[in-house]
Formats: sequence, structure tokens, C-alpha cells
Amino acid sequence: MILGLETSCDETAAALVTADGRLLASIVATQTELHAQYGGVVPEIASRRHLELVAPVVREALQQARAGLDDIRAVAVTQGPGLIGALLVGVASAKAFAWARRLPLIPVDHLLGHVSSLYLQPLAAEPPFLCLLASGGHTMLLDVQEPTRYTVLGQTLDDAAGEAFDKGARLLGLAYPGGVEIDRLARQGDPEAYSFPVARVPGLDFSFSGLKTSLLYATRDLPPAELERRRSDLAASYQRAIVRALSERIVLAAERTGASQVAVVGGVAANSELRASLPAGALLAPLALCTDNAAMIASAARFLPELPYPQYLSLDAYAAA
Amino acid sequence: MLILAFDTATSSSTVALVHDGVTLGERVAASRALLEAADALLNDAGVVPAELDGVACGIGPGSFTGVRIGLAHARGLALALGVPVAGVSTLAALAQGALGVAPAGCVVVPVVDARRKEVFALVDGVEVCVPPADLAFPAGAWLVGDGAVRYRDVLEARGAAVPPDESPLHLPRGGAHVALAAAYGPVDEVLPAYLRAPDAKTIAERGAA
Repeated sequence: MILGLETSCDETAAALVTADGRLLASIVATQTELHAQYGGVVPEIASRRHLELVAPVVREALQQARAGLDDIRAVAVTQGPGLIGALLVGVASAKAFAWARRLPLIPVDHLLGHVSSLYLQPLAAEPPFLCLLASGGHTMLLDVQEPTRYTVLGQTLDDAAGEAFDKGARLLGLAYPGGVEIDRLARQGDPEAYSFPVARVPGLDFSFSGLKTSLLYATRDLPPAELERRRSDLAASYQRAIVRALSERIVLAAERTGASQVAVVGGVAANSELRASLPAGALLAPLALCTDNAAMIASAARFLPELPYPQYLSLDAYAAA
Repeated sequence: MLILAFDTATSSSTVALVHDGVTLGERVAASRALLEAADALLNDAGVVPAELDGVACGIGPGSFTGVRIGLAHARGLALALGVPVAGVSTLAALAQGALGVAPAGCVVVPVVDARRKEVFALVDGVEVCVPPADLAFPAGAWLVGDGAVRYRDVLEARGAAVPPDESPLHLPRGGAHVALAAAYGPVDEVLPAYLRAPDAKTIAERGAA
């Protein structure tokens, strides 16, 4: 089995996955509450927390899988992109672990990791498919031709979709992370109450920065009591605008590429309205595998070349793709 | 006891292989090249990681990222080998390294670059974070560490003796960590000594400001 480690942002995660893609254990220690009091992820605080959690999550994964150290055949770790200080904790731990046991190491790109959440059983998706990757840090449309090979058809020109949710939530006085809160509140609201325009950018790219400005204009002059009364309508309308922008682009990209399967991965894939808006048969990972986790990292590693000892000793993390 | 000792908190990282208190070999490397250096050391000594009995790791203070890189390696090794780990103050290791080298009766003050125009230092047994101009030491004291090198001019002007830049006294060397390691135990209990809080304010703190 493969031990996966993920520490690119604010989740410290370890997982064990078999060579044929069965998920034996997935432990995610989230730091969400820690960062909520700051209104967003603080890189130094995230890095400190990763160091405290990295060994416990590995031990817990082994316990959950009822596995021992000897069962681990290779170590997979997120190499980037992400917060560099956070990534270094995972990379250093994984390298030292692999070196000590003379195991191969498999560095994994975080974005490919998200796509690879679809390869785990029982879904076991097989390319080609068109994939929307939407999270707090990324929004891109990928034409996935092989398990580890894709071309980027479009991406956000400014804010990521998850970022748009977070910023919108802040304007509405909701807690961080915003996506979950807006999703919850939107169920009680009227999505047609407000019209929030999403910028039409050419091609298959996205733009969400104008959207939050529209929400700002809609909310800034409202007295507190009025904002409270309209909050669910605002949340529902704002969510509708984001989801519409995403789903329209998926359909357009599918038409252009002739893709017969579409998929959505990343934290925003947990959004209930987005899930409901997708065509029947769309590939969706279980909710727990949408947000950052190590199972997707170990899953990707199954399709990537292994670096045998000692080729990975100088391996370094990278912050930007 | 075969111990792998390393310290990645300061600008020059060190790693040493120590057998029953005797250093079999040691290397200086960048913190991110720690494992390459460790691998070379073990190969030179003809041993494999599975033969290690423990790990001694510098816990800082120093560069936050550097401190974490060392302690993350310690966690990976401890998980993989099931060996215990001892955490040792980087400042204490620097002071230990100067023992027997500095003249008898001479005060040794370890000084680590803390960035932001400050240094971490061990003064009368207390770890402090101060601007170099405010660091307390008696005239003629030996100041060692990358902070002493970086602020040589201001410290020497105040009466300090700072060994030449290339002196090994400025390195926290693994033999010192092993000598100082009081107890080897679970790696989860070996925590970093940051000595400075993260640079962030909560929403409540921002509102109060």
C-alpha cells in the first residue's frame, strides 16, 4: 500500500491506499477553526500546526487501516503548489520516512491530486473526461486525457471560486470558511431575489472579482436589521451566480472538446447546488474527498513514476505551479 | 547508542553521526539538503538508518522554517524507525560547542540571527529575543552563532569577542546536542522553540485596534 501525506494548506492529512485504488484509511486533521478567528489561513500558523499534527495523522491512518509499517511500499507526498512553509513539513517528513525505510518516494502535484480523487474505488473513473477543479486556491477546466496528463482549457483570471465564496461570506457577516455557510443559508433563500452579474470573459476562463463587488454594493447600504432579513436571499442569489458561471463553462467546454464525461473536484465540488446542477452521470468524488486530503495524493501516486532511494534526497517543495 | 544529530535552525545546518558520545562524522549543509548529508554520513560509516538508536534534534530558536524542517525530519525518522527523539536548544548546543575552546573564566553567549534586526540569545540561562544593541554580556565575552557573525560590528564595538566568520564555533554541532540530550522520548513531545509569536491578528484583535 501507499502512504500519502498532504500539508499544502490548512489540512494535515495522511492516507493509505492500495495499488488497485482501495482507500484503507484517510485521516484529515483540519485547522479550519484555528484559522477562522483570523478570517483566513495564516501561513505561519498553518505551518506550526502541520508540524504538531503530521506524526499523529500517520499513526492514526495506520490504526484505521489496521496496518503496520511493513505494509507500506511507497510514500507519496504533495510537493506543491501551496504554502511553501506548510508543504515543507510534509515533504521533509515524507522524505525522512522513506529514507529511513529505503522506500521509494512519489512527489505529487496537488492539482493532479484533486483530479485523482476520482480514480479511487468504487468510483474508479477512467479518462478521458472534462474536469472542473474548483477550490479556495484554484478554478480551472481541465481536459484530462490520461490519469496523469491533462491540458488546461481555462482558469480564473482573478479570484478562485472558493475564494469568491469566502469573500462573499465575509460581506454577509458569515463565518469562515464561507462556502459551507453560504450553501447552508442559501437553502432558505430565493436565488432569483438579486441579480449578480458574472463577468463574461472570452474563451473558457473565469472571473469572479466583479461578483463580490456587486455583493458589496448590494449590502453596504443595508441597515443591520435589513441585512439580517435579506441575508438568505443574498446568499442564495450570490451562490446561484457562482454556480451558474461554473456550470455554463463546463457545458461549453464539454461541447468544444466533445467530452462524453464531465467531473468536478476540489472543495467547491462539495457545494450542493453545484452538484445538483451537473448533468446526469457527472463524476463526483464523495464529499470527504472534495476538500484537501491525502487519499487523493496516494491515489495519484499509483499512476506516477516512483523515485527510488536515493533519487529523492534533494527533492524540494514548490509554492507555485 | 548510535545517534543521528542535526540542527537546521540557523543559516548553516549541521548533521552528525554520534556513537556512544564519539562523533563518527559530521557535515554542514543547507537545511533542505539535510537528508543528502545524513545519507552520505551513514554511507561513510557503513551503517543503515535501521541501525540508529535515536535522533537528537535542535529545536531552535532560529529560522521558523529551518526549525520546522529539522523537526519534520525527526518526525519522519521516528515514525519510520520507531526510535526515540531528544530535542535540544540550538542556543545551548552553540554554548556547549564553545566549552573548552573559549579561555577559562570567559563568558560564552550563543547568538542566533532572529531576522527583523533582532537576535535570539541565551543570557544567564534565559532565552531572549532582543536587538543586538540591547544584548547584555560582560566585556570580553565570546559571542558565537550566526547572529554574532551577522552583527559582528555592533557587538565588537560593545566589547564582545566574535571568532572569525568561518570558525566552527558558530555552528550548532551534533556532538553538542548528544552531550546535552537529557532524555530520549516520543517525538510528539519534542516541540519547536520559536520564541516569537506568529505575525497575525485575529478578527477580534483587529477590531480592538
